Amino acid sequence: MLVAMSETLTTNEYTDDLRYEVFNREFMPHIDSMYNFAFRLTMDEDDANDLVQDTYLKAFRFISSFEQGTNAKAWLFRILKNSFINDYRKKSKEPSKVDYQEVETTYNSEEASDTTYTVDLRADAVQELIGDEVANALNALPVDFRTVIILCDIEGFTYEEMAKILDIPIGTVRSRLHRARNLLKEKLRSYASSMGYDS
Amino acid sequence: MNASSTTPSVTEVAQKQMKHTCEHHAECMKIIQAILDDEASEAEKDHFRENMDKCIPCIEAYRLEKCIKDSLNMKIVKKPCPESILNTIISKINS
Repeated sequence: MLVAMSETLTTNEYTDDLRYEVFNREFMPHIDSMYNFAFRLTMDEDDANDLVQDTYLKAFRFISSFEQGTNAKAWLFRILKNSFINDYRKKSKEPSKVDYQEVETTYNSEEASDTTYTVDLRADAVQELIGDEVANALNALPVDFRTVIILCDIEGFTYEEMAKILDIPIGTVRSRLHRARNLLKEKLRSYASSMGYDS
Repeated sequence: MNASSTTPSVTEVAQKQMKHTCEHHAECMKIIQAILDDEASEAEKDHFRENMDKCIPCIEAYRLEKCIKDSLNMKIVKKPCPESILNTIISKINS
């Protein structure tokens, strides 16, 4: 069955033993990162559990299309992101649509995002914030913006890897990241001022 | 970057040459982020090296961006994947 899936299979022929070996050696070490990514996308523990399970089962089923020696973590993240869009985003409990609309209007051009650089936030104020506050600010972002920040700043993917995971050009990675960070600064600023950290 | 740790006389001289406004700050913000992400082109690195120690808005922006990036990376708690998920995956691929 798998043979029919891929024309390049001759280079990736997997015996049964090798499938398990590659799965354990290349895929399992990323399970904590995958779980955290799933949780930050769905914002729901049950959905995160299902998403991680589905992703790993798909990864095993389609292991012959994984080329050994390439970046397994990026490959897995891409499957997880696609599963999230196809299977979970529709039924997501997160009311992100209203938020997203608002963001689209405010940030629908490069120029619009450029004018927001003057967010009045000091590094010292950010330094005072605890992890939960930073996480809440991140979680308050619409999912597309949240995603680029997770991939870049938490998981340490390169722009090129992010482009592959998200199926978008590198230029779009850069500009989306830039906008996401401007938005995050606004969220952090309201946290900082509500905590009385900001002067 | 840290002009305040230099001796007073050097600081004084440096202060006079410091820029208090940045006429291309939007562009600088993109460069600063690219530098922190280790994704800057050679031209962007050159611009950064030449300008970053004399432009106060850019120095402050660099500190802020770095602080946010570090906070995201180090302060947010990473949960371990629940054991039950691991077990389900393993039992399903073995069946």
